[in-house]
Order: sequence, then C-alpha cells, then structure tokens
Amino acid sequence: MRERVKRLVLSFSTTTQAMAAEQWFQRKNLPGRLIPLPGSISAECGLAWCTEIEQKRTVEQAAKEGAIQIQGIHEVMLYERK
Amino acid sequence: METKIDARGMACPKPVILTKKAMDNGRKGEEICVLVDNTIAVENLRKLAASQKADYKFRKKGEKEYEVILTVQQETDEAKVQETVELENCSIKTGKKTVVVLSSDKMGEGEEKLGKILIKGFVYALTQLEQLPSAVLFYNSGAFLSCEDSPVLEDLKLLEEEGVEICTCGTCLDFYGLKEKLAVGNVVNMYQIVQTQVQADLILKP
Repeated sequence: MRERVKRLVLSFSTTTQAMAAEQWFQRKNLPGRLIPLPGSISAECGLAWCTEIEQKRTVEQAAKEGAIQIQGIHEVMLYERK
Repeated sequence: METKIDARGMACPKPVILTKKAMDNGRKGEEICVLVDNTIAVENLRKLAASQKADYKFRKKGEKEYEVILTVQQETDEAKVQETVELENCSIKTGKKTVVVLSSDKMGEGEEKLGKILIKGFVYALTQLEQLPSAVLFYNSGAFLSCEDSPVLEDLKLLEEEGVEICTCGTCLDFYGLKEKLAVGNVVNMYQIVQTQVQADLILKP
C-alpha cells in the first residue's frame, strides 16, 4: 500500500548536476533516490534528489564535500510504499 | 424503524444514490443502515449525511465491510436539501481506464543513459498519480523493468499493491532469458496484451 509522507527534496539547476548528485550521494551510501522535480516545487522540468527529512544536514555536508550545487531544499508530501 | 441497504460491490455513486432515496422516503428518527465495501463510499456517505443534516456513524465490520448508519433528522419537505454532494474520488470507480504501455527500458530516443533516467522518473511519477492506471503492460525490452535488478521494481510493487495490474509479455521474457527473473506482476500473452489495450479508455505510452 502507499501512504503520503513528508520528504526532503533537493533541486538542482541542471539535469547533469542532478545526475552528478545521484552518483555522489550513492557513492557516499546516502539513502535517497532521483525523482522528477515535483510540480509543487517548480513547474520546470528537472530531476531532484529525494530523501528522508532527517538527512538534511548529512546531505548538505555531502554536497559541500562533492562540490554539488544544490539549488533549493524543500519539504514535500509524496506517495511512498508503506 | 430501520432501513437496510447492502451496497457492497456497487460502484460509486450508487451507494449514495440509494441511501439518498431511502432518506427521502424516511421519517424523522429513522435509521438507514448501509453496508459498503470501501472507505471512499464511507466518506461519500458522511458527506451525504452532512448535506442532509442527518446523524452519521460508521464502524468497520470486516476487511472490506463497513456499516454506515445515518439517522434522518429532517423529513424531505422541511430539509434544505443540497442536491449536489461533492463525492470523494468517485472517478476511481467510474473514471477513465488508463493502461500504460512500456515497450522499452528507456524513455524516448537519444542518449541511453538519459533514456534510463527518464523511464525511472516516468514510473515514479505514475506512483504519484491520484488516480492510478488500471494496468501497466511491459513488452520487448520493457520486460527488463519488471524483472530482478530493475531500478523501478519498488515503484511497480507499490502500484501492484494498489491494485494496478502489472503484466509482462511471456514471449519477451523467454526471448531475453528473463523467465525466472520476473519479480512483479504476471506473465501475459499477446491476446491479453491486445485485449487490455482494446478495453482501455486511454493508452499512455512514453
């Protein structure tokens, strides 16, 4: 079953930045996944990194280390598998 | 006095229509006891009760059995009847039957790496729809998506749990040597692939 949960969503200025972020965060074994940029953040087409709310500090730190430019950090309600 | 309505198995908005009819014929204080099999119907009956100023209570009786009791408070001639009750997600039962067709493990033409990212995003976006499709069909290299090691497996499992049929072409599984690797849904043949699409109101093919 699915349920709505609050998630941390990081947006990036370009698709290649988002892809680089995915690669870097996975290398760092950080939980999360690449998703299409939710419409509630922006109507633009793009990719975003979606992770748990509690990961905010860790992911910001990791982004700094990997020179990943985060455009915005958002909290969004998304459907997820229970 | 009590009126009983067994609306289990009825598509929305039939339970509401039957209940409204019973309320219209009911006397003040009369209880209308309605059996339904889903929470959407329960919510719609609650809205009906509110619009008719009727008392409302419900209890879950079983896995797919809910009993809603509405007590008529005003007879029709004295009630300010609000005819339009906005029904919750009624379209789930009566809306378009959408079938998604994934004939490739990539989305669109061009760079393979991008195509694979896009298809992941596409399947994820399906899970975020308020009204989910009735089926997702996989054929040709699309069959890789419903097999072990697929990057969209979790999303497909979510869809299946929500009642979406996940159907993969048997010929394709055989051709790619994936027969033992199917990880979600059922194997279908060409007749079922054709039949599912013929019965659809909308076919979504990225």
